[in-house]
Amino acid sequence: MMERNERKPYWRHTKMQMLASLLPFVLAMIVLPLYAEALNEKRILGIPLGYFLACHGLAVIGFVTIAVFVNRQDAIDHWHGAHEDF
Amino acid sequence: MAITARTRLVNPRLGTYFGIFTAAFAALFVLALMFEQLGASDGLLRLLMFGGPIVLYAAIGLSSSATEARDFFACGRRVPAFFNGLVLGITALGGAGFLALTGSLFMIGFDAVCLSIAFYAGLVFMGVLFAPFMRKHGAYTLPTFLGRRFESRTVRIVAAAVLSVPILLLLAAEARFAAYAAAWLLGQSERLMAPLVVACAAGIVIAGGMRSLTWSSVAQAIAALLALAVPATIIALMVSNLPLPQMTHGNVLRIVTRAEIVNGVPIVLAPPLAFDFPGAGVEPLIKRFVQSFGSVGSLSFVLMSFVAAAGIAASPTLLSRSGTTPGVYEARKSLGWAVLVSGVVLLTLPAIAVYLRAMLLEQVVGQAGDRLPMWFQLLQQAGIASVEAKAQTVRLSAIGFERDAALFALSIAAGFPQVIVYLALAGALAAAMAALAASLMAIASILSEDVVHGLSGETASEAARVGTARLALLGAAFVTIGLAIALPADPLQLFLWSLTLSAATSFPVLLLAIWVKRVNAWGALATMFTGLVVTIFMMLLGEAGAVDTSSALAGAVGLPLALAAGLVASRMTPAPGRSALDTVREMRVPGGETLYDRELRLLRLKNRTQT
Repeated sequence: MMERNERKPYWRHTKMQMLASLLPFVLAMIVLPLYAEALNEKRILGIPLGYFLACHGLAVIGFVTIAVFVNRQDAIDHWHGAHEDF
Repeated sequence: MAITARTRLVNPRLGTYFGIFTAAFAALFVLALMFEQLGASDGLLRLLMFGGPIVLYAAIGLSSSATEARDFFACGRRVPAFFNGLVLGITALGGAGFLALTGSLFMIGFDAVCLSIAFYAGLVFMGVLFAPFMRKHGAYTLPTFLGRRFESRTVRIVAAAVLSVPILLLLAAEARFAAYAAAWLLGQSERLMAPLVVACAAGIVIAGGMRSLTWSSVAQAIAALLALAVPATIIALMVSNLPLPQMTHGNVLRIVTRAEIVNGVPIVLAPPLAFDFPGAGVEPLIKRFVQSFGSVGSLSFVLMSFVAAAGIAASPTLLSRSGTTPGVYEARKSLGWAVLVSGVVLLTLPAIAVYLRAMLLEQVVGQAGDRLPMWFQLLQQAGIASVEAKAQTVRLSAIGFERDAALFALSIAAGFPQVIVYLALAGALAAAMAALAASLMAIASILSEDVVHGLSGETASEAARVGTARLALLGAAFVTIGLAIALPADPLQLFLWSLTLSAATSFPVLLLAIWVKRVNAWGALATMFTGLVVTIFMMLLGEAGAVDTSSALAGAVGLPLALAAGLVASRMTPAPGRSALDTVREMRVPGGETLYDRELRLLRLKNRTQT
């Protein structure tokens, strides 16, 4: 069970984690498609690089984002004693 | 493995059950293939591929009946993260993802990727911003959550009314996609199939509500994934010797790009706010596959990614699933699985689009109009493809194609047995039915929990709540049939409208309810009202041609204005009370009892002591 005085640091930590998870992903969502045409000159696995990054790259970044978030947020929960009691 | 309360909640035989389902589905497919080779009639094969899977889904749905409210509305809160993620991923995609997105990728190539990005970005946003807190609160519906968070029955009723709009649009869209797949599968008209598929979806979930929905949707997700994988993997093996269409379609894409240059397909650059997605009928192929921003402008591309992602993240249909996991950690983890599942599907769809385009460019473009391959003539006879009558030599721009047919047209073009074509259709039907049933369940829960019993303070018996939800489900099914038949709009357009409205109404109010403690009931009402009114106004302006933006992007105006209205209204009115702040504080901490369950337990205890 979380101590009462841990609430504020816990929520501050959670907010930081949310921003750290979402900001790079949101940035990639904007930048990668906009520069796709310029990157299409190069190829990876035969696929134009810009198209590859917008399709495959963003999917991988999305999965890594959520996987890292789940891991880190769970660590934050345990650090502040806010985790579930099972 | 240590046996804890968390592991005891989960049925250890789930893997075995769904292993049996997968084997039964594969056996059905192989049986149909054998029948086809033995010369069985086409009608029998169609019936087998339509009826067989539906009987399996119905058996799962009807055998998972529920009488307790917690089972009926939250599947007993014992769905493991993987299964919840699997259902979330496929339900988010639905028929729109399987049929319309594949077709859009085939017709406008890169520009349709904005929707792909929106699907997995929406699930990431949901996992980080909303799902863990919704799970800790434990409310069965979004209006219940908002009503309790803001301690206002008015907020609850207004939220029920406002959030029903995107759900009804989604219901109409998914019913149309399911009817489209069923119509091609059975060779009947869409109007005839719409009541049948809606009745099937409602019949599967009526016995057990969320419990039936969850386990039948797992089966539908497995069927949809298998149906997508089989044709794409066979073609990947044929062209690259590797069974990975997602990674090996590069060489085919190189051929496509070269053929487009040779055939003089022009490079078109759309204005930044252009948003020209292909419509439902037969439309010409005018754009190069890899070239970006030819049909959708650069600004519209980014805006669509964000608006649709916000719509998916705050979708009332999907978010009601977050209460089904055993805990907050599982709710977060299930979104990880959902992103993985949807990511695999969304990387397979462009491969299918590239393979079909390559076949078209290699075998149809440049041929004499009277010497077209047999498969293309079959598509022409079926009304899926067309060539301009006066064309002596076929050019790409002279070819028209029906958007939603691209998924199963690939199997026809590759000369596969007819049963593989029916398998692709059965997969699309499964995905559309999963989304349709989830939306039916969402609106039935809102009608029962928030409109009928929400006004009387949750004192109704469990039997009354479950009974009302079943009646509401039947009513919602009738309304859906009416909408699917009466609404003339393109189903993809209905789907995009649903997302844009969800982005402007549900997303801002949830964001403020969870992340901004100061927001009160007035702020919530102002948020939902502004989001709905501004978005509908922008949609009407967009449809009338009074503004340059598409009606699908109306949420890009509605969302920020709704957020601003909520913050301003909250600042101008008294701060929320102490108990509302306590609810927010408790909701933010994963540990401890689920808030909604505790509230109902205390209410029951109070009623017992009074009697």
